[in-house]
Amino acid sequence: MRLPRIFRTTPFRLTLLFLALFASAASAFLAYIYVATAGEATRRTDQEIVREMRSLTGAYQRAGMDAVNQSLIERAASEKPFLYLLMNSQGERISGSIEDSPVETFTGPAQWISFAVTDRDAQGRLVKHPARGLQERLSGGEILFVGADVGEDEAYVVKIVRALWGAGALVIVLGLAGGVLVSRNVSRSMAGLTDVVDAVRNGDLSARARVRGARDEFDELAAGVNEMLDRLERSMAGHRHSGDAIAHDLRSPLTRLRVRLEAALLDVEAGKGDPTQALQQALEDTDGMLRTFGAVLSIARLQAAGTAPDPVLFDPAELAADISELYAPLSEDKGIDFAAEFSKDLLVRGNREFLAQALANILDNAVKYTPPGGAIMLRVRRRSSGEIEFSVTDTGPGVPEADRGRVIERFVRLENSRSEPGAGLGLSLVGAVAEAHGGRLELDEGPGSVDGAGPGLRVALILPRPA
Amino acid sequence: MRILIVEDDLEAADAMERGLVEAGHSCARAGDGEGGLAAARDGEFDVMIVDRMMPKMNGVQLIETLRREGDQTPVLFLSALGEVGDRVAGLQAGGDDYLVKPYAFAELSARVEALARRRETGSVQTLLRVGDLEMDLIGRAVHRQGKEIDLQPREFQLLEFMMRHAGQSVTRTMLLEKVWEYHFDPQTNVIDVHISRLRSKIDKGFDRPMLQTVRGAGYRLDA
Repeated sequence: MRLPRIFRTTPFRLTLLFLALFASAASAFLAYIYVATAGEATRRTDQEIVREMRSLTGAYQRAGMDAVNQSLIERAASEKPFLYLLMNSQGERISGSIEDSPVETFTGPAQWISFAVTDRDAQGRLVKHPARGLQERLSGGEILFVGADVGEDEAYVVKIVRALWGAGALVIVLGLAGGVLVSRNVSRSMAGLTDVVDAVRNGDLSARARVRGARDEFDELAAGVNEMLDRLERSMAGHRHSGDAIAHDLRSPLTRLRVRLEAALLDVEAGKGDPTQALQQALEDTDGMLRTFGAVLSIARLQAAGTAPDPVLFDPAELAADISELYAPLSEDKGIDFAAEFSKDLLVRGNREFLAQALANILDNAVKYTPPGGAIMLRVRRRSSGEIEFSVTDTGPGVPEADRGRVIERFVRLENSRSEPGAGLGLSLVGAVAEAHGGRLELDEGPGSVDGAGPGLRVALILPRPA
Repeated sequence: MRILIVEDDLEAADAMERGLVEAGHSCARAGDGEGGLAAARDGEFDVMIVDRMMPKMNGVQLIETLRREGDQTPVLFLSALGEVGDRVAGLQAGGDDYLVKPYAFAELSARVEALARRRETGSVQTLLRVGDLEMDLIGRAVHRQGKEIDLQPREFQLLEFMMRHAGQSVTRTMLLEKVWEYHFDPQTNVIDVHISRLRSKIDKGFDRPMLQTVRGAGYRLDA
């Protein structure tokens, strides 16, 4: 038999468990209350019996049997709820409010007993009341019994017990109801997420969980799931896009290559001309395509691995100085001023080779796009956050703000730079390197427009503070 | 020079052999690791070109075996795997150089020459001499026709490499790897700029240029 869905939910099960724990605790509590109240009532009755006994034995010692009898007579007239019996040394009744002592075999000088008295209630029916009694031998040999009806105390305890049971039942009913409510509520919150998961499983990546604004853990989970799906969707779109882009990037050179080879073949067949130049061009085209493939492969591997391989701890300024030394002559030959500024005593953890390549790519782009007469500045510093920042600022045309995000994506090449070869993958690879190191790439405006040049571009590769 | 080619891609091996024979070398071939091991044990070679991934016994196992047997023939690994880790594994196994596929033939031939040459220079030299160009490795000084030439540290390293491989073509990638120790291809002609600076220092003002550009390959320092 299958339980209704609500009874199978985790919150409901938790409620049951909690209820069971609570019920045990409540039982222990009730037991304690019972002992405390009922026991207390008996103790109080016993004290009163003792007091009464002392008062009567006191009278006996002062003035003998007559005084006791006198006291009993006075007390019988009052509404005192005590039971009395005065017996001679043989246990035969002398006087009292009851006929027989409930004590069957009297041994000691004093003896306690719990017994029952029979009484008539308001309707005249016979009822039994529980009672307590104390029997003592007086100094003259007579025996005195003093007892008390504890029926009223007992009824009080019974009331308490009944109230406790009621409370227990109420707790269980309310607990179950609460459990049902909570689990229904939680189930409803979960249902949204389950629906999203189902939708995504069926291929709809655009499904999103509803964030109800309650700022609870379900909202957090929903927000987390949504963010995860955003990233996934972007990444899928990136892959789709990269497929298109690879096709686009390779179709033109492949077409050119084919045309060139075909023309060369025709020339050779016609016995005219030397195909050397065409073949050289074809080789160059092929090399360009191979470079594109190499970059695609590096990016794909970095992204697949998720982390940079073989990380070591090193001084970023040293690496930057090394790369500047490689690039400064290139920049100066093009008439671009090259400056470097490195903070001392910094450390980063990473793959030196990949980071070197990333810096080289950034500088490659800077030199490529900065016109003669411009300037390039390479800087390494520690941010106030503790992160290490490599930045390259140039005075080239820059990248419009709207396009900055796209440049980092794989294969995106801005329309107006299509004529420049190989520019598409440079920053994508830098982005992949940054990501693999747990860092990021930031693009900003450079120093601004001056004399028709600029506004320039500032590319910052930011690595986390080494742990 | 006798060269052993161990490569399972027959077409690639054919092209390689044709090129090397044309350059005046003699070649032996094996199509898998076990064949390569037998050929290497039987013959004397100046250089071995070994593909990393082959049937039966891969290139790394082949070279590890040969090195254990005491064979010190220089080895150039060919591989489609170009990551740093792959390269390091290849060199640790006993390879002397590592070339990632696909490669230009000029690159392959330059590296084979460089490997063979490295073997010839037995004793430690303190003075390099190419034509009228002299490099004092201890005094860190360079003279041409007795005139001192002032070089930056990197230019000195660059010239040292060119002098050690005088008469051979060296490629831009080789220079970037051996002089700068980077294993990626820059997109721009960074190396050309460094070479032209070096050229202006060692050739300017002298009647005969030594540092030649080799079309489609790289550079060559001629006496």
